[in-house]
Amino acid sequence: MRRRGTSEVISPPGTKEKVFGYLEERFGLERSLFDDYGLYMASKGRVYLGPRRVPDLPKIATIGLLIARVHGTVKPSTNLLQALGKRVSRNIVNATREQALAYARGGDFKPDSAAVDGIGDGYVLVRFEGASLGCGLLQKGMVKNMLPKAKRLELRYI
Amino acid sequence: MRIPDRFRERYCSLVDDEEAFLSCLGELLPKSFRVNTIKSSADEVMRRFEGYGMGLKRVPWYGDAFICDNPEAGFSLEHFTGAIYIQELVSMLPPLLVREELGKSRFVLDGCAAPGSKSTQIAAMMGNKGTLIANDVSYSRIRALKFNLEKAGVLNTVITNRDLNAFQNLKFETILLDAPCSSEGTIRKNYDVFDAWSEGGIRQFSNVQKQLILKAFDMLMPEGTLVYSTCTFAPEENEEVLQHLIDNRPEARLEKASFDGLRTSETVGSWNGTEFSGEIRNAARIWPHHNDTGGFFLAKVRK
Repeated sequence: MRRRGTSEVISPPGTKEKVFGYLEERFGLERSLFDDYGLYMASKGRVYLGPRRVPDLPKIATIGLLIARVHGTVKPSTNLLQALGKRVSRNIVNATREQALAYARGGDFKPDSAAVDGIGDGYVLVRFEGASLGCGLLQKGMVKNMLPKAKRLELRYI
Repeated sequence: MRIPDRFRERYCSLVDDEEAFLSCLGELLPKSFRVNTIKSSADEVMRRFEGYGMGLKRVPWYGDAFICDNPEAGFSLEHFTGAIYIQELVSMLPPLLVREELGKSRFVLDGCAAPGSKSTQIAAMMGNKGTLIANDVSYSRIRALKFNLEKAGVLNTVITNRDLNAFQNLKFETILLDAPCSSEGTIRKNYDVFDAWSEGGIRQFSNVQKQLILKAFDMLMPEGTLVYSTCTFAPEENEEVLQHLIDNRPEARLEKASFDGLRTSETVGSWNGTEFSGEIRNAARIWPHHNDTGGFFLAKVRK
């Protein structure tokens, strides 16, 4: 992770615009939500949202939260969609209880057609009864699971 | 569980009720968790858990903390989404002691942060704003720290992996030093604590803590606040460390460590022939049998 200086470090130019533009367009996350934070780049296109003030320190392991990976397109992280889920206003798939259980254990699910009405293919926020579960990829009527393996859980109380 | 004779000799004279103390050490801890206010609220979580048929008891001294009568809170939707953080009650005390300061601080250090229980709590108390440096010397524990901060939705943190003694001389408004210790107070969840227990070990921890507390104090801004805490009973790791601070940094002032609704006990006045300064009485001991918790020690130091 780059860590020099006390201000955000992001490259190549335009990445910040690309990430914030995507989050606003796809999820309705307004840019003003990120005013208090800085963006930081790590290897493999990973983009972190972290504090604005980062002292020049050796041995920094991580700054802030991994919010997206940028490889031509932007892939939002489950961390981000869980953290700001309440502020997401579009491209939300409301899961049934069975679908939420499947999602939490790492499985894909086929949402009811009403649940994806008006939602174009792409990344979505999976929600259950108002709780933001994480990121999914809507493709050909299926929600593909984007949950990192370490976060998977066999839920017993939902 | 076999309690070492020397352990009994050391502590039974310090507690009010020897029998209650020793029998409490063999009892399981109640299951507790804290609501992560970055993602949810105590009322929302309570409503959900009532729907699961789980009995929750709000902790009298901390409105965001609950004792749960069901050991399976870790399999709940709220644990999955990071709306709750499963945490032992006494471990919640250090950030709570400086809640007001954290609400105003914009530059905070958690010196021994892994696995992140207190860092996630500090970040929430800072409103997820400003900068929190969460440092830990152990590389292997950084992974758990990172995972827990991510799960809690923490944005304001920089994780560093350094020996605190070698840390740059930055100046912080608030510092938490939850020092590495002999962990005697965690015996109710870690039965193997007594396997490795020795007075030599306590002495080693004490030496490390004495270095760390001076370093942490030196990294405070003027009027800044340091919380020093351990989860052990040993006076060598608690009162003696504070005495070392006072002897070497006379400007250090201890403020009263207390919580409405939590029973705290007086610190030890002397140990192994050493009389401790009256200032140290402002620190607090928490004995397991008084509040049905783990054992703990904490002090609030102002520069």
